[in-house]
Parts: sequence; structure tokens; C-alpha cells
Amino acid sequence: MKQVSTMSDLFERLNDLKTVFKYGQKLIPIIQSIIDFMKETVPLLEDINTSIADSTSKIPRAKDQIDNISSATELATTEILDIADSISNDLDKIKQEFKLLEQKEIKRQEIWCGIKNLLKNEKNAQELIKEYEQLDNFLPLVKNFGKVFDKINNDVYNITLSLQVQDITSQQLAAVNHLIESVRQRLSSLIIHLDETELNNIDSVQIDSNNDSAFNPEAKYTKSQENQDLADVLVNQSLNKTSQDEIDKLFS
Amino acid sequence: MDIKFLVVDDSVTMRRIVINSLKNLGYNNYVEAGDGKEALEKLGADSGINFVITDWNMPVLSGLDLVKTIRSDDKISSMPILMVTTRGVKEDIIEALQARVNNYVVKPFTPQILKEKIDQVLQAA
Repeated sequence: MKQVSTMSDLFERLNDLKTVFKYGQKLIPIIQSIIDFMKETVPLLEDINTSIADSTSKIPRAKDQIDNISSATELATTEILDIADSISNDLDKIKQEFKLLEQKEIKRQEIWCGIKNLLKNEKNAQELIKEYEQLDNFLPLVKNFGKVFDKINNDVYNITLSLQVQDITSQQLAAVNHLIESVRQRLSSLIIHLDETELNNIDSVQIDSNNDSAFNPEAKYTKSQENQDLADVLVNQSLNKTSQDEIDKLFS
Repeated sequence: MDIKFLVVDDSVTMRRIVINSLKNLGYNNYVEAGDGKEALEKLGADSGINFVITDWNMPVLSGLDLVKTIRSDDKISSMPILMVTTRGVKEDIIEALQARVNNYVVKPFTPQILKEKIDQVLQAA
């Protein structure tokens, strides 16, 4: 009885095996197509590797170009500031000269009043006095020039204030460089099947990675006072708080 | 009172703009530093500095760390400090206030704002 059972088990197993073979036969073409697909994929992967390696090797150049832009704009900004300072200094000198001229003009008019008084009884002189007074009145002109110089000086100062944009854009560019460096590192880690030499070549390119505390990626040039208003509110809230605990509690 | 300012910013442009603004306000006594570490060196003995205007984002030692270092040094802990920075979000402003800056200016600043904040700090000092 036990032998029958064993034989039955054997046939059952053989049937299982037959089923496995049947499935195996069906699977062979599928496995073959997977192998074919992989064969076709390998050159593609190699292409991708080469492409990634190529792109990665170009990234330091892109970073250098961005650095060059930052340096060039800083240089240009410094030149503009130098010129602005020079204009302001010249204007200050001219303004001082005009101030002296104004004082001389006031003095001259005082003397002129004296002369007019002395000549008031000279009938022949009256026509000349009248003619002279029509020609002569520099004082309002001199005063007006003073106002114009102040305006030009203020305009020059406002130009220099606008140059804050250079600091802000250089922080934005530093943030872009930081991102580019992160991408380079990710791409480098993706590179597979590259020989050691190529990897070494890429890694040997020294990238001066920016310390991310040296720039603010959120830096923006805006005329909006929204952020300053927010700062004012928070500063005012903290003004009456004398201890560190009080300040910490206020903002917790 | 003759005020001697220490202007701390890694950007040469910004230092010049802040200094130009100070001159326009009639303050001609100042020294400069390019980062927090250099600022601390300048704040050493007998510097005569009695007002610090600092940026936040700088290499070597940030403006925030500079503020914390100043506040933890008994000799200079009461130094008036104005932070002038591009960081304008609430969390940043709170962090700076918790580090105990006296006032806060968001870049780009106007001359009126800078004057107003310097005056406020000086009045409170």
C-alpha cells in the first residue's frame, strides 16, 4: 500500500516537472528577448555614460564662466562707484566755489547800493545806473545753480544705491553655482562602466565649492518694502524684551 | 559723541555703498572688514569702534555668528549692532533678533531706512 502511494507521489512529481518544463519552454523566448533587449541596451547605456561624463566634465567650465560674470560685474560696479565718487567730489568743489561766488555777489550788491546812494543826486548817472541794474542780477542764478548741484549729487548717490543689485545678483549666481556643483556630484555618482582614468580625470577638476553660508539663495532685488515692514514689526515686538528668555518666548 | 562704525560685508560694492551712505549722514569715522573673523580682529582692544553694521551671509564667519560672538564677549557684549542683509523671511529675522541684533535692515535699503535704523539704535543705546 505504501509502495502505491510512493509511485503515485512520483507520478505527481513528474507531472509537476512536466508542467515546469512546459512553462520553461514558454519562458525561453521571453528570456531570449530579455537578453536581446539587454544586448541592445548596453551600447545605449555606454552612450549615456559617455554623455554624462562629457556633461560632467563641462560643468566646471560653466561654473568658471559664472564666476567670471560675477567678477566682471563687480569690477564694472567698482568703476561706476569710482566715477560716482569723482563726480560727487567735483560737484562739492564747484558748490564751494559757487558758495564763495554767492558771498561775493552779496557783498558786491551791498557796495553797489552804497554807490547808488552816492550817485542819487547825479542826474547824468541815473541812466547808466538803470542800464547797469538791468544787466546785473547774478544772485538768483547762483542760488539756482546750488539747487541743481544738490539734485545732481543726490541723483549720483541714488545711482550708487542702485548698485546694491550687484551684491544681490552675485549671491544669486553663487546659489546657481552651488546647484551646478550639486548636479555635477550627482552625475559623477551616476557614471558606471567608465574606466578609472576617466573618472579620475573628472574628479581631478578642482571645483571651489561655495560655502553655502556665504550667499543667500533667496536674495532678490526688489523695491517692495514688504520684508522691511515685517522686520520692523518683529524688531518693535522685541524692543521691550530685555532678557534672552523673554525674546525666545516671544518668538517661540 | 563721535561714532566709529565697523562696516562688515564680503562685498566690496556693498561696503562702499554703506560707507557712502554713512558719509552722507555725516558719519566719517569708520573701518571695514570683509568677514566676521576680520571684524572680530578689528574689534580687538582699543579699536574705538562703537557701532557695528554687518551683513549676514559671509565666508569664514557669518554675520549671525559674529553677532553671537560679540554678545558672548563681556568686553563688547553691549556693542550696538545693525544687521543689513538680503535675508528677509520671518524665520531669519527672528533668528537674528534671538541672537540680539539691535535692528534689522533688508537689502536693497534706502538711505531713509538706514538713517532711521541707525538713529533708533543710537537712541536706545
